[in-house]
Amino acid sequence: MNRQRLIILGAALGALFGAAAIAAADMQITGAGSSFDNPFFQRAFYEYSRSVSGVQVNYQSIGSGGGIQQFTAKTVDFGASDVPLQPAEMKAAQASGGDVVQFPVTLGGVAVAYNVPNVNTGVKLSPDVLAGIMLGDITNWNDAQIARLNPGVPFPNLPIVVVHRADGSGTTYIFTDYLTKVSAQWKTKVGNAKVVNWPAASSVGAKGNEGVAGQIRNTPGAIGYVELAYVLQNQISYAQLRNASGQFVAPTLQTVRNAAAKKPNVNPKDFSIVNMPGAGSYPICGYSWVMLWKNQPDQSKGKSLVGLFRWLVTDGQTFAVRVNYVSLPSNVQAQAAKALASIRT
Amino acid sequence: MLVLTWLCAGIAAAMLAIIVIYVIQRGGPALNLAFFTHLPTPVGVPGGGAANAIVGSLVIITMASAIAIPIGVLAGIYLALLGRGFLAQAVRFFSDVLTGVPSIAIGVFAYTIVVVPQKHFSANAAAVALSIIMLPIIVRTTEEAVKLVNPAIREGALALGVDAWKAIVLVTVPCARAGIVTGALLGLARVAGESAPLLFTAFGSQFWTLQPGAPTAALPLLVFQYAIAPYKDWQLVAWGGALTLILLVFLLNITARLLFPAKLPR
Repeated sequence: MNRQRLIILGAALGALFGAAAIAAADMQITGAGSSFDNPFFQRAFYEYSRSVSGVQVNYQSIGSGGGIQQFTAKTVDFGASDVPLQPAEMKAAQASGGDVVQFPVTLGGVAVAYNVPNVNTGVKLSPDVLAGIMLGDITNWNDAQIARLNPGVPFPNLPIVVVHRADGSGTTYIFTDYLTKVSAQWKTKVGNAKVVNWPAASSVGAKGNEGVAGQIRNTPGAIGYVELAYVLQNQISYAQLRNASGQFVAPTLQTVRNAAAKKPNVNPKDFSIVNMPGAGSYPICGYSWVMLWKNQPDQSKGKSLVGLFRWLVTDGQTFAVRVNYVSLPSNVQAQAAKALASIRT
Repeated sequence: MLVLTWLCAGIAAAMLAIIVIYVIQRGGPALNLAFFTHLPTPVGVPGGGAANAIVGSLVIITMASAIAIPIGVLAGIYLALLGRGFLAQAVRFFSDVLTGVPSIAIGVFAYTIVVVPQKHFSANAAAVALSIIMLPIIVRTTEEAVKLVNPAIREGALALGVDAWKAIVLVTVPCARAGIVTGALLGLARVAGESAPLLFTAFGSQFWTLQPGAPTAALPLLVFQYAIAPYKDWQLVAWGGALTLILLVFLLNITARLLFPAKLPR
């Protein structure tokens, strides 16, 4: 009786771990960071493991801040962030693993998304009004300043709830970079970082672009900022913003591309593409970056990493458009390829 | 007063029923063959499942049990039969305190002692974290179960000249086994749904990552990730994952009860 039970238990465990051993892949790469990138990365890495190479890329969307931290702790093979490493972060990383190579992998827009019952997508916002909402000076959707920009739109008497990121976020960096450039008050009161103190009295934090998009969807009166792909995939309403040339522009792949074209050369020290001039430029855009160690500790994994990203910044860009990201401009692709060539494996 | 206690008892029982019914309602539609056999797919690619998360959870729980059950049961036996004085009091005190330590703190601890030195997230690290959470539950339940066994039985064995350790292993422990199994199951059920410690350790994966040394998918992580996402199909999978977790714990419960019945075999 006892022996029978042991045999049953043993067989079950054996089957479990046996299945495990069979299913193991030839090469697995682990990455973490930006949730801005996540829908594009998931799709591209999925296709890569299926049709390009057997390399499986496990990417976890933990936010840019987390990505930088885990990369520096060397618990992941690559990190992704919508902001290149800042000087202090670079110092910490170099102390941990030597020189870091950073290159852009995707281009996207940050949409100002909202949930106001009976109000359609495309509400017009000026930089002042947007900053006013985010600063907590404008607290209700029926505020005269919003109505003045949107004649005829039936705004309800509904308190505004600002939804922002709770984790260290490159999307927050891009959004506050924009607000800092268009609002002197925001610049002195809040500033520009991956984590800021949100001044609006009625505000809630959520984890990741996923969480912010979900929170906006579930909260009438909410307004927040998320990567464009998230609002397009989830039918969330988003605003048109008045750009530096005085035009109201909705975020689309084309208006993001227009903005990026105004600044053809970006590098890890000069990367901001918010508030770009040009009538057709959407004002809140950004590149997202991947970090790799210049001297790869594991030769074969290093080769796989370089191969993966060489594909991602060139052929892999075809999947960007399919999930509502902008494919990298060809000159930026060339810059990324050059950076990759400097990695020693 | 009597009516009030009845009412409260009813509420306590109803909670479980309400949760289970609600989760079945929401998660039931997600459970199809693909859910149990396919890997997750990215947003926009239909037909994904949660097979790797289910197996990953089973692997992690099994490894955690392999660490926690032997240590916990032996420690519980020590406390019930052998432990006297200061040391036993200290062990009791520390395991009681350990029960109250937030699981997220244990996750950070496992991250620091396993993930950072090993330089990768892994099922191993997750098993270490979960076993620490299981341990005090198993220790204290085993202690209570062994204490319930009439000491006269063991004394009878000792009087017949049996070694002390044999009397414990062959006489007392078999009598207490229903209680010991209950303790192990309580521990299992407690950790099967833990997500906080797994965030720092198992990390999650979209693939079959079944070497214990690699980042591994797990059901609670899947539920956490998919439930906060704005995608409707992911939210459905999250409900399906929650339902699967409940079923998994029920199934483990029933299997253990069948394999180790409360009554001794004749």
